[in-house]
Amino acid sequence: MFHRYGLALASALLSSWPLAANAANTIKIGFPIPLSGPVAVYGQPVLKGAELAVSQINAKGGLLGRKLELLVRDSKANADEAVRVSRELIIKDGVDFLVGTVTSAEAPAVSTVAKENKIVFIAPVAETTRLTDPQNVHPYVFRTNSNTDVEGLASAIMMARWKDVKSVATIGPDYAYGRDLIAAFVANLKKLRPDIQIVDQQWPKLGEPDFTSFITAQMSKKPDAVECAVFAGDFVTFSKEAAPLGYFKLLHNRMVDSGGVGTIEEVRALGNDYPYGIVANTEDPVIWNSGNEPPAHAKYIAALRQFTHEQYPPSWAVQGYLTISALADGIRKAGSTNSDAVSKALIGMTFDTPIGKRTFNVKSHETFQPEFYGTMVREAAYPFAVMKNPELLPQSFTPTN
Amino acid sequence: MSPSFLFSQFMGGLTTAMFLFLIASGLSLVFGVMRVINFAHGSFYMFGAYLAWQAVQWLHPTGGGFWLAALLAALAVGLLGALTERLFFRSLYGREELYQLLFTYALVLILGDAAKFLWGTDQLSISTPPALAGSVQVLGTTQPLYTLFIIAIGPAIAFGLWLLLNRTGAGRMVRAAQMDREMLDALGANVGTIYTGMFALSAFLAGLSGALVTPIQSIVPGMDVLIIVQAFIVVVIGGMGSLWGTFWGSVIYGQVLSFGILIFPGFSLFSVFALMAVILIVRPWGLFGRPL
Repeated sequence: MFHRYGLALASALLSSWPLAANAANTIKIGFPIPLSGPVAVYGQPVLKGAELAVSQINAKGGLLGRKLELLVRDSKANADEAVRVSRELIIKDGVDFLVGTVTSAEAPAVSTVAKENKIVFIAPVAETTRLTDPQNVHPYVFRTNSNTDVEGLASAIMMARWKDVKSVATIGPDYAYGRDLIAAFVANLKKLRPDIQIVDQQWPKLGEPDFTSFITAQMSKKPDAVECAVFAGDFVTFSKEAAPLGYFKLLHNRMVDSGGVGTIEEVRALGNDYPYGIVANTEDPVIWNSGNEPPAHAKYIAALRQFTHEQYPPSWAVQGYLTISALADGIRKAGSTNSDAVSKALIGMTFDTPIGKRTFNVKSHETFQPEFYGTMVREAAYPFAVMKNPELLPQSFTPTN
Repeated sequence: MSPSFLFSQFMGGLTTAMFLFLIASGLSLVFGVMRVINFAHGSFYMFGAYLAWQAVQWLHPTGGGFWLAALLAALAVGLLGALTERLFFRSLYGREELYQLLFTYALVLILGDAAKFLWGTDQLSISTPPALAGSVQVLGTTQPLYTLFIIAIGPAIAFGLWLLLNRTGAGRMVRAAQMDREMLDALGANVGTIYTGMFALSAFLAGLSGALVTPIQSIVPGMDVLIIVQAFIVVVIGGMGSLWGTFWGSVIYGQVLSFGILIFPGFSLFSVFALMAVILIVRPWGLFGRPL
């Protein structure tokens, strides 16, 4: 490990002098991303995916005859810090574009910085609808991930398929993401299945270390199924506390979790403690057993595997990868690194990703990205849960405004 | 509401309480004896969790070996605490509290980065030891064996600490150091060793609680800061430095949270903070503390 860093350091030192003139000529992408604290679980893999995309583009000679360069800063998942490092990236480092942020607090904050400085900013992860709603959208902000309305619809579709379910409970983290997602889910479920009653709603805080009381309170209402928005480390804690209480048994595993707990990161963390049988979602299932894997995905995973030296590379990397690819397509189409030209190129643009084509909506500058949903099952070949027949949902989405 | 449901809420609250007591006991101990508010206590807790995970990987990569791993992790964290005290805290005693706060906060940042460097940013997890993986039926409710174990270990640690402080020679010295450090020093006792010992014990308890929560909680970067706030609430409710105050503070916190979500389901934290505000107004020194 030290050997690798040593080499990288030496080559950085050696190359910085003779190439100083060239380095000034790179296309600079500022990358504010959480690399510390609980949200680094997302930040690190997103960065890996972005680095892979940059290295592939540079290996083919870069864009407009110039190499791409990522300038990475730790945003600490904090809006103030994300704004501070973004300003610094623009003023001190003179970046041409901003890509990054994870949380729904950081992304809208950085969006205002992008607007002030007229620099294109693409958010690869944040899902709050506030980022791109009619009051907040501006020419320089874009989003490649799903939003909470899209996820709410997709999870309602999955829930509605359980025909004998008559009562549903919800549990989600008590902040913008959890509240918005659960609200969208309830609104969509009411339309799809007016016969279902919402019997209980629990709101543990983000980072809750002990869910026991929430779990027992929910179990007392005896719901037929549960919609869950608990994710990442919180879901590890939640499911390990819920299983011995008989929670999943009571539900007959009828839970839809829309917090992205179908990721490799999550299944790897939980191992055999995963609540097999629940429905989960992810931007990228990574492991694809049903035989309908897109060839572009297989190629991407092979490259990512080589890049990260991991047999099962992280799911979230795809968001870093496809966001850089989208920006690169925009720069190519504009034939310039001027943000006004690139913004024009991106609006309405369709681009290829390892998981299918996406289009930036003309009004809201987002792709309403569908995600993969499926039942998480045990398979002998893997030491963790895998998604059975990943299905892209929703198949279509019409924004309400 | 059926009696069995109330019982399961009560047990849920007790689980939360005993988890918090495990971590808060060491925090309260160090404050009581040394008047140091140790923000880095949460970092010791986090190291306990990561080291337990590491030890399990070394001992039994396929699972098992949890108890030995937890003990090793706690001992290692105790050692880390002793070293920290010897090398750094020693020069801070008697200075303004601000210096101590700044130093322990710096320690939080350093240890947080160290953990990230050593173990990365993925969430990690350890399986429940097989012997305690099941659950039993009590009064018509399902009680996981592991949480029953945690509920039992809380009072055991409280009683053990009480015995140590009140029924042993070492404990007498500690209480003397708490009352008048200079006098004890003048009488020829080695106050430095007492302080190092207390600090190591406090870190050991933090490490142990970190290791013991791993079977039912995730190990993530940032768990240090998330827990320290709650531990402080518990210590403030009970009274800084009071062992039994911390114990009953934890119990009250757990029960208020557990039954609070039945009354205000949308505001899980409201009841706990409201309780703390009321206590701070009525008894600023906490339920079992003494006015400073």
